[in-house]
Amino acid sequence: MPDWSRIASTSDCSGNGCVHAATAEGEKIVLVRWRGEFYALEDRCSHQDFPLSDGEMDEGELECVFHGARFDVRTGRAVALPAIRPVKTYPVEVRGDDIYVDLG
Amino acid sequence: MAESPTIEGPVAGMMEGVTEHLNRQTVEALAADEPKWLAERRLAAWDAYERTPMPTTRLEEWRYTDLSRKLDLAPLRPVPWEARSFDRSAAPAGLLDAMEDDREASGHLVELDGTVASTDLREEFASKGVVLTSLRAAVESHPELIQELLATQALPADLGKFQALNAALWTDGILLYVPKGVRMERPIRVSRWIESAGKAHFSRTLIVAEEGSQVSYVDEIGSDPLSSQTLVSSAVEVFTRPNAQLQYVSLQRLGRGAFHLSQQRTIAEKDSTLDTLNVSIGASVARLDLNARLVGLGANSDMLGLCFGEDDQHFDHNTSQDHVAPNATSDLLYKGALDDRARSVFRGIIKVHRGALGTDAYQTNRNLLLSEKARADSLPNLEIEADDVRCSHGATIGQLDQDHLFYLMSRGLPRSLAERLVVIGFLGEILSRLPLGGVVEKVTGIIEEKLHA
Amino acid sequence: MPQNEVIQDLGLDEYKYHFITEDEPVFRSGRGLNEKVVREISAQKDEPQWMLDFRLKALKIYNAKPMPTWGGDLSNLEAVLDEIYFYVRPQEKMERSWDDVPPNIKETFERLGIPEAEQKILAGVGAQYESEMVYHSLKKEWDDKGVIFDSIEDGLKNHPEIFREHFGTVIPSADNKFSAMNSAVWSGGSFVYIPKGVELDTPLQAYFRVNQEQMGQFERTLIIADEGSKAHYIEGCTAPVYSTESFHSGVIEIVVKPNAHFRYTTIQNWSNNMYNLVTQRALVHENATMEWLDGNLGSKLTMKYPSCYLVGEGAHGSVLSIAYSGDGQHQDTGGKLIHAAPHTTSQIISKSISKGTGRSTYRGLCQVHEGAVGSKSNVECDALLINETSRTDTYPYIEIEEKRSNIGHEATVSKVGDEQLFYLMSRGMSEEEAMALIVRGFIEPIAKLLPLEYAVELNRLIDLEMEGSVG
Repeated sequence: MPDWSRIASTSDCSGNGCVHAATAEGEKIVLVRWRGEFYALEDRCSHQDFPLSDGEMDEGELECVFHGARFDVRTGRAVALPAIRPVKTYPVEVRGDDIYVDLG
Repeated sequence: MAESPTIEGPVAGMMEGVTEHLNRQTVEALAADEPKWLAERRLAAWDAYERTPMPTTRLEEWRYTDLSRKLDLAPLRPVPWEARSFDRSAAPAGLLDAMEDDREASGHLVELDGTVASTDLREEFASKGVVLTSLRAAVESHPELIQELLATQALPADLGKFQALNAALWTDGILLYVPKGVRMERPIRVSRWIESAGKAHFSRTLIVAEEGSQVSYVDEIGSDPLSSQTLVSSAVEVFTRPNAQLQYVSLQRLGRGAFHLSQQRTIAEKDSTLDTLNVSIGASVARLDLNARLVGLGANSDMLGLCFGEDDQHFDHNTSQDHVAPNATSDLLYKGALDDRARSVFRGIIKVHRGALGTDAYQTNRNLLLSEKARADSLPNLEIEADDVRCSHGATIGQLDQDHLFYLMSRGLPRSLAERLVVIGFLGEILSRLPLGGVVEKVTGIIEEKLHA
Repeated sequence: MPQNEVIQDLGLDEYKYHFITEDEPVFRSGRGLNEKVVREISAQKDEPQWMLDFRLKALKIYNAKPMPTWGGDLSNLEAVLDEIYFYVRPQEKMERSWDDVPPNIKETFERLGIPEAEQKILAGVGAQYESEMVYHSLKKEWDDKGVIFDSIEDGLKNHPEIFREHFGTVIPSADNKFSAMNSAVWSGGSFVYIPKGVELDTPLQAYFRVNQEQMGQFERTLIIADEGSKAHYIEGCTAPVYSTESFHSGVIEIVVKPNAHFRYTTIQNWSNNMYNLVTQRALVHENATMEWLDGNLGSKLTMKYPSCYLVGEGAHGSVLSIAYSGDGQHQDTGGKLIHAAPHTTSQIISKSISKGTGRSTYRGLCQVHEGAVGSKSNVECDALLINETSRTDTYPYIEIEEKRSNIGHEATVSKVGDEQLFYLMSRGMSEEEAMALIVRGFIEPIAKLLPLEYAVELNRLIDLEMEGSVG
């Protein structure tokens, strides 16, 4: 069942490659902007649980600053060691200036 | 890249964990009517608490237990001390049930919400000088002993964040003192019951077995389910003097609202035996820090532990076997069986200090995963700085022994029963190694009940 | 005779590789690590822009990461790193024939027995002197089959696509402080590609020599074993003994494709003024096998945990590790096994000997991810202590999320038993012989896994030297 929750405003994550930490209903979420689209992922690297929101975007991939693991922001798939497992992704909707994610 | 000078670095932690209810004023209020030395000790402990950062998963000892996700100190109000008495007719059914098998003991003690409500000790032992009393009473009746040993040699406040918190805020607790040469065949039975949910409870236990004495001690802590997160902190300090023999058993069956912190340190002197058994069944998170120090030549400690987890219970057992003196022996066996999404962590270390020649130290951790989502982490460590030693450790993690299961089923047992038997057998090995009257049956009964559910 | 002296007589403490070659490098960077040095290295190698960017980003990561506070004592390392040369180029270009290698350098490798071994038992040889590969050659029959065995620099130049596809993906710069450092200043090392179905029957060898004082060596090796291939790669390392400290930090990335079999053997015998901080990791695909054979005998401090990421169903990984720590040495070694696919299997066998004030540490990780059903792992660590002042530690991490797996770990610590010695001596052996027999018996399970004919390092060091010293 969809469970839309507002996590940020578009001005919080304005530039291309922007990485923004947000919280919704207790869930830590990392919001990224890439080529005009917003993507939301669980803010926890599948390698050692460090926050991905400390990392940076590189060619559509979010790189964990702690050990260099990389994730495809569209699918959450791990694309570079030391991570192997994917991270959870959330559907995103922009409503006016507000960004919503579906936690359901 | 994010500018992040703190990557993997220590977290600045001044004043972490100071809240509306857990603060210096609370300590000062507790200390107001106490002797000067005790008031000072509490405040010094509070200082240590304030300056110690809240442990994070970046600390090796807290790697697998993320307090920032599991413990919210903000709403927790410490239960104030008030004189309590035990009224059997008004006692919770769970407590009465827990006390069922208490009758044959050498002495009993009941603690409610961290305050001792009743004690009784057989006259034959009282007349020999055995002391079983509340810690608060002991501050008055045995000031030298308490001043010497409470939160000093075994669990001083500077040992860690939660050791400090307990040393600052304990409301009451238990003193058991067994004089030289006194031998008690039947155990001392302590029943501790937590009534107030959503609060913080701090209790301490101090046990001293003087030279050549013998005693066993069974502590059972329990509660109803507890509707909101409840912090239960127990600090246990145990001393065996030369040639003493002591067995300490802790049985934890708190409700699922509980976050249980149990800090234990045992100090065994020359040729003494100091065995422990920790059974963890309840609480949502149960963290045990057990440090066995063998400080006298020829001391011996058997350390046994067992946990059974269901739902999303989280057990974190952190043990150390500290061989300071030569020719001492320690043997640790911890087992866990985990169902549903339950998780256990075992982190144990054998530390053989320089000069502790002739050490025999063993450490074994075995885990049984009963469901797809259960998880176990095991870190059995060794640090050896003496050459003439015999040390080993082992760890296994796996599912039910299929051969064993198959054998039982081939004898006509249905699978569910066969599985129960294998689990009971697996955990039963722990109990059979410290077969105190009543404990084996009780724990086996609890686990069987869980397996049936 | 006290056990102490007996062991000295066994020759384990003698370092036979202390000799200094007089030479003048053609280029040397300034001391310490900074952006200028990184740009100089990249310019010296005439690299594409992406590699310079990669190096500069790695330097930023290196600067942002704190020194590890676990493992060995690194408290003096920052000071050491300020003094060392991060890049020393010994000659203008790499040679394909020993005759073209400058005589003093050639002589060095002759003293180490490399050209001789090449002729007899190797499929190919690479030799690194200071920061650069000075020699690389592969037997023609393997060259004809498409095997690539080259310096890493030539790998980047001549095989840019396959190089870029894999470089830095197995070990990202940010993996740890020293992988970041290596990523910034790497120089030398091998690029290896074994084509589909090709099986090499003799090993490839790379030999690493540090000659100069206060020198840092940062080789980078990338190996791709394509489907169904089989090969064995051996590296050896030595340096002269100086009163100042030197530094070695390699990064070894290996991709083992489905059904391939790769073995990587290290016989590290650095002088005991060397910090040796190495990251080695293999990505192991379906039904492939990766074996690390890791012998750590030299260095002041080694921190090295060869890893297998078992990502394909049925993959197998193993680490066989032997460590010897004499006075003042600390070997902090072990392995990491990540089971991320069903029916993956792994094994670690670790043996260490600590003598005098030596310290041997086993540090390992075994992780089974949810869904890696039917995985099995077994770890055995044995530590032998010779003296009262020796130390050993065991730190295994076992993290299991899958019930349908079977994981075991065991470790023992013991000293050379008086009973054993007494028994052997009662059978007519001298104490030296008895001691030698016990030590040899202890390491035998691993020593016997080395190719029998390949006695260049380990056998000569432990087996032959011990026998020769007896009597």
